[in-house]
Amino acid sequence: MASHSESIIREPLITGKDITYAQITNDVLRPVENMPGKAWWIGFSVASLGACLWVFAVSYTFWYGIGSWGLNKTVGWAWDITGFVWWVGIGHAGTLISAILLLFRQNWRNSINRSAEAMTIFAVICAATYVVSHMGRPWLAYWPLPLPNQFGSIWVNFNSPLVWDVFAISTYFSVSLVFWYTGLLPDLATIRDRATGIRRKIYSVLSFGWTGSVKTWQRFETVCLILAGISTPLVLSVHTIVSMDFATSLEPGWHTTIFPPYFVAGAIFSGFAMVQTLLLVTRKVLGLENYITMFHIEAMNKIILLTGSIVGVAYLTEFFIAYYSGGEYEQYTFLNRFIGPYWWAGCMMYGCNVLMTQLMWFKKIRTNIPISWVLSIVVNIGMWFERFVIIVISLHRDFVPSSWAMFYPTWIDVSVFVGSIGLFFTMFLLFIRVLPSIAMAEVKLILKSSSEQAKLKLIKSGHLEGEQVEFYEESLTKFDSVDITDYKKA
Amino acid sequence: MDSNKKYWKGLEELNKTPEFVELNKHEFAEPIPIEEVLTGGGLEGRTPRRDFLKALGFGVGAVTLAACQKVPVHKSLPYLIKPEEVTPGVPNYYVSTYDGQAILVKTREGRPIKIEGHPNDILAKGGASAQAQASVLDLYDTNRFQSPTKNGAETGWAQVDDFVVRELLAIKAGGKKIRIVSSTVSSPSTLGVIADFIKQFPTAAHINYDAVSYNGIIKGNQNSFGKAVLPHYNFDKADIIVSFAADFLGTWISPEEFTRQYVSNRNIKSLESKKMSRHIQFETGMSLTGSNADVRIPIKPSEEGPALVALYNAISGSTLPGTKTIDNKVAANAITIAAKELVAAKGKALVVAGSNDVATQVLVNAINSLLGSYGTTIDLDNPSLQYAGNDAEFVEFVSDMKSGAVDAVFFLNANPAYDYYNSKDIADGLKKVRLKVSFASNADETSSLCNIVAPNHHYLESWGDDNAISGYYTVLQPTINPVYDTRQAEQSLMKWSDNPLKDYYSYVRNNWNTSLLAKGGLSGQSGWETLLQTGFVKAAPVTGGSYTFAKDLNAVAQTILDHSKELAGDKTEVQLYQSVAMRDGKRANNPWLQELPDPVSKVTWDNFAAMAPSDMKRKGLVDGDVVKIDANGYSVALPVLSQPGQAQGTISVAVGYGRTVVGPVGKGVGQNAFPFYSLRNGTFQTSATATLTPTGDNSPLAQTQTHHSIEGRNSIIKEATFVEYKKNPAVGTGKSEDHKDYTEKNNLFWQKYERPTYDWVMAIDLNACTGCGACVVACSAENNVPVVGKDEVKRRREMHWIRIDRYYSFDDKGDGGVTREHAIADLNTDQLDHVKVVYQPMLCQHCDHAPCETVCPVLATVHSSEGLNHMAYNRCVGTRYCANNCPYKVRRFNWFNYWNDARFENYLQNDHTLLVLNPDVTTRFRGVMEKCSMCIQRIQAGKLKAKIEKRPLKDGEIKMACQQTCSANAIVFGNRNDPDSEVSKALASERTYYVLEELGVQPGVGYQTKIRNISELEA
Repeated sequence: MASHSESIIREPLITGKDITYAQITNDVLRPVENMPGKAWWIGFSVASLGACLWVFAVSYTFWYGIGSWGLNKTVGWAWDITGFVWWVGIGHAGTLISAILLLFRQNWRNSINRSAEAMTIFAVICAATYVVSHMGRPWLAYWPLPLPNQFGSIWVNFNSPLVWDVFAISTYFSVSLVFWYTGLLPDLATIRDRATGIRRKIYSVLSFGWTGSVKTWQRFETVCLILAGISTPLVLSVHTIVSMDFATSLEPGWHTTIFPPYFVAGAIFSGFAMVQTLLLVTRKVLGLENYITMFHIEAMNKIILLTGSIVGVAYLTEFFIAYYSGGEYEQYTFLNRFIGPYWWAGCMMYGCNVLMTQLMWFKKIRTNIPISWVLSIVVNIGMWFERFVIIVISLHRDFVPSSWAMFYPTWIDVSVFVGSIGLFFTMFLLFIRVLPSIAMAEVKLILKSSSEQAKLKLIKSGHLEGEQVEFYEESLTKFDSVDITDYKKA
Repeated sequence: MDSNKKYWKGLEELNKTPEFVELNKHEFAEPIPIEEVLTGGGLEGRTPRRDFLKALGFGVGAVTLAACQKVPVHKSLPYLIKPEEVTPGVPNYYVSTYDGQAILVKTREGRPIKIEGHPNDILAKGGASAQAQASVLDLYDTNRFQSPTKNGAETGWAQVDDFVVRELLAIKAGGKKIRIVSSTVSSPSTLGVIADFIKQFPTAAHINYDAVSYNGIIKGNQNSFGKAVLPHYNFDKADIIVSFAADFLGTWISPEEFTRQYVSNRNIKSLESKKMSRHIQFETGMSLTGSNADVRIPIKPSEEGPALVALYNAISGSTLPGTKTIDNKVAANAITIAAKELVAAKGKALVVAGSNDVATQVLVNAINSLLGSYGTTIDLDNPSLQYAGNDAEFVEFVSDMKSGAVDAVFFLNANPAYDYYNSKDIADGLKKVRLKVSFASNADETSSLCNIVAPNHHYLESWGDDNAISGYYTVLQPTINPVYDTRQAEQSLMKWSDNPLKDYYSYVRNNWNTSLLAKGGLSGQSGWETLLQTGFVKAAPVTGGSYTFAKDLNAVAQTILDHSKELAGDKTEVQLYQSVAMRDGKRANNPWLQELPDPVSKVTWDNFAAMAPSDMKRKGLVDGDVVKIDANGYSVALPVLSQPGQAQGTISVAVGYGRTVVGPVGKGVGQNAFPFYSLRNGTFQTSATATLTPTGDNSPLAQTQTHHSIEGRNSIIKEATFVEYKKNPAVGTGKSEDHKDYTEKNNLFWQKYERPTYDWVMAIDLNACTGCGACVVACSAENNVPVVGKDEVKRRREMHWIRIDRYYSFDDKGDGGVTREHAIADLNTDQLDHVKVVYQPMLCQHCDHAPCETVCPVLATVHSSEGLNHMAYNRCVGTRYCANNCPYKVRRFNWFNYWNDARFENYLQNDHTLLVLNPDVTTRFRGVMEKCSMCIQRIQAGKLKAKIEKRPLKDGEIKMACQQTCSANAIVFGNRNDPDSEVSKALASERTYYVLEELGVQPGVGYQTKIRNISELEA
């Protein structure tokens, strides 16, 4: 991979002029090997306050009961399962990037996969907390597992999508964790080699005695490939099964065969948006502009546009099927999203997810960092509302009008959700302090072929067609980390 | 033959080597190192000793620590000498009487836990009201007086007796008046005790005072026929009923009895013989009765008089002086139609009016006389004795008190300081009374003004009798020893009047022996014992005279029309009514009743000002906006509620709320509306004119249903008119049309399950159900359903296993009416007045293909081989998916630990109220789902009983709690496998449909369509 020259018309994946292997290591490990800056401390304080709020709100719920949330006899799930699906969805980008893009040899993934996978794991942790805390009797949370027991011949209900969900989420979490950790091994070894004292001891344990021999690398590559193969179906299966939590029910608005692909697209959509939100800040704060370049940003924006459009098509399909089915309850449910008491939530869902993402068709917007950042947040707000709309708007007015009810969140509902965001960021901020936020070893792989300096060398060698070089230079204008005047001179 | 075989264990033995021979001499071939062990390091070694001590230390420590866990000791004491009739775990039933109605009291291990209707009771034939069901909880109310009090301080009975007797003798000597004020006493023995008391104290008198009075009817009958009685009405004999604001299905006189009578002309049996009564209701607020009427016309209180005059004119063909045309075109038209129909049904017609105005009742008597109702639908010879309150006598008593002419007063089950319209007069008057005794069992407004409280027993602790309808004598027998240090009021009166009989039980026995037993053909000890098993005796009815109205009506019409003129005007007219749940407010401390939704408004824990939707729009008010209501010099601030069908320009307010001296449950619930009453021509009037001023506050009402229309969903509610029904009984069910069969045989997708023995199902007749809600309380009592309080109901978390859905439809032109939210918003005011109501009891449908069962991850809800959907509370982890997936939304989640959470401590948590719980049903912990179990404990008990008696189960032997208490018999439960069972027959009715049957969940509860007897004239 590393030895051949890449076509000049491909945009560089690493910018900067004098990037060496050592330089990469230094750049990436700067936050790991130095004391954190002010920005990190501020961020960490806020995030950990949020995490404390989460601990408090969840403990309050455990102590007093689910009644401290705003649920009622009609709306049995609301912010809890909305939050759960939202976090699981966010957790989808990581594995997609690490597994599917690896299989498709999309080298640009190398710069972003580490953070994306970490984000996945933290998001799934947040989701899992909801699984437990939404239960009426969370101390029995192990009962949905098919464990041998002494309760008699009591087994779990394999017909229940909630049981499938338990399997799906736990499998996804463990595979993601293994995949992420395996990828970390060479980088952990790098830190170990540069560290001293107690840190060296810790990292040497964590790196599992990595030696860096050819055989080790060979095995490493093989394991990664195998894990990618295992993870790939999981990317599709997890949200498929989460969608079945709804699709297998009778509830109008849930009982829909389109849910699996629609949910998977939506998950990737929100996952990439979250990666975008995090990396746009990380690259700036940690000074990683040369590794996470405008190319990456635009590529992710394109995926957001694609998946957002798929989601849009799914929305239209739902409305068409509701109309075409002639089912009066389903028709009412979909109309209710616009004309019911929660019309504003419906507007947030369709507005944020469909209308706003269509802005990405414009290159100016795709390559504008502030707008991209805002849009990535808009997408996640929209996706939160999508789940809220599906869950609450469907439930609050279903079959029997006498039971129609409104859902009003309590401050505990809000605290659990806000707190889970705090928990997520606490974990993420700790992650960038102790582990390399970019997969150094994998970035080094492509330094010789796909970096700006390699391309410049190629241009300087003078064997290229002028037209192609011009095309290449043109493409560099959008990069904020490339000084285009250098090329003008040349 | 001897064997010379030789067995050897080794070559050494075979060969007998010297070593072997040597070693074989010892017991063990190799020496055991005993010496070494005993003397060597074995015991002295340091390690084994230390290990031993470690093990010992750990062991003792661990055992000690484990033993430190304090094991709670629950003392359950067995009977030292077991009463013969009590078997732990097996309930005993005793007959008794609630409010003149024979009942059965279910007791377990010596404590009453449930009231059941008495199947032979002649009033409701097994039905019981919500109040009767809830009354058992009052027995265990810890807020009851636990001992007598004197000037607010607890004291003993001896001191009280001493004081009262001394005072009474002094008062007797002084010669001033002594008064016993009670709500209507219909018990012959109590009346006897009071009569004896009066004999002893000649200045004494007994005054019947009812908070909600029927004195107008009694005086009207006195005036018209010379008989001062409350007649006994026979709604079952009426083909057409026209009611002017009489809520006879909800609160008027004897609602359970009237419900039974009324429904007998509208239920499945009647319809199958193509007969159905017709019911036209003219009223102001939407009452339970009005909501069941075939035709309901909203009229203002001021229009009631002119409407009755017009009806009289139309029937008699004459014109009373002063008659004016009625402005209300709809009402005028309806009067014409009603008159025609009434005349056509002469002898089978009945007109009733809820008014307490004498003139109005005289006019109604005249109308009924013209219609030949006396002797058929109205019985004056066997009158009702349920209400005998005399308004004028009470008013006179109040003025006597104020003038200082009364020296002693006894309040028996009367609370005028709360429910008299001028309670200040009571307070002022009582200050001048020397001896004030209250028999209240709970602190109330009046007892707090008395110097002696001699708390009465709860009726379940009492001996006694009752006589609701002349000739119908029922007996009360105690089912428990007194819970607190109370004494029956009759006993106190006997003691204070030095009655020759020393205890009230003997008095009752005596009374029955001498006069009452004979009426039922019984006598002596065996007669008494029979009575204690049957519960009542029924004397042969008096066959009577004929009654014809022959008085001059001119003055009557003038009085009525003058009154109407006074009410009419720019001001808002106020109608005061009793709510079905709270009635006159005496039971305000009963959480089951406070949480029982009002049948029409579905409001719990509050009273409110019901207002027409068009008035609300005009005034810019929304539900819950608080308005100040000023009338008759009194004002209260109450939230308004948009009530379709409320006459425009009026509000309706329920009395019975706003108790100030009451236990913690009833405190601060609603506002008192009794002061809006007024006295007119000697009777209390229930209408007034008021000015309304919005206060700007909004106080949301706790409703259990907030969406009121069916949204055109005709697979939930199916209805038809009687005309259509006669042509095609299946009309409205959709069966005759191009109807897909959703029954099991057409459902290939799901596995079919065997129901080898029983297949428990239920049938509910929407045409019989009046929506009263007695089943809701019965279910709560039977199944230990927690009470959650106003705040939680507001959050839509009430726990009732059965609920009554109530839907409105508007502007019915024979097409089912407007039922969609957005279409209703576009209706004009007249169309909004034209509202129809339907009730639908909704409980777990026990679907054969239950959607809740497939989604539960832990199999906590599963299906039985008897067709029931079970809920295993112990297995539930509380994901709530089952509730989300239930199309009927009947599952209830324990959001909190209602049995051990300070917020709910006033309801059912304390040591005494816990005794009311049904020991056959577990209480549910927080985080667990619950729902209707189809009274599984009753099914089990029934099956076991049949098994013990070695016989097959009989149809109808097992009754659900909801079914048992239903006076309308709207609910039938039974085994579908038995084609002859009542339920199979009911489900075979052409009117049967299943709610949401197109979902394919195969519900086990079938409903029969609602039929409305609407003629083409008003369509």
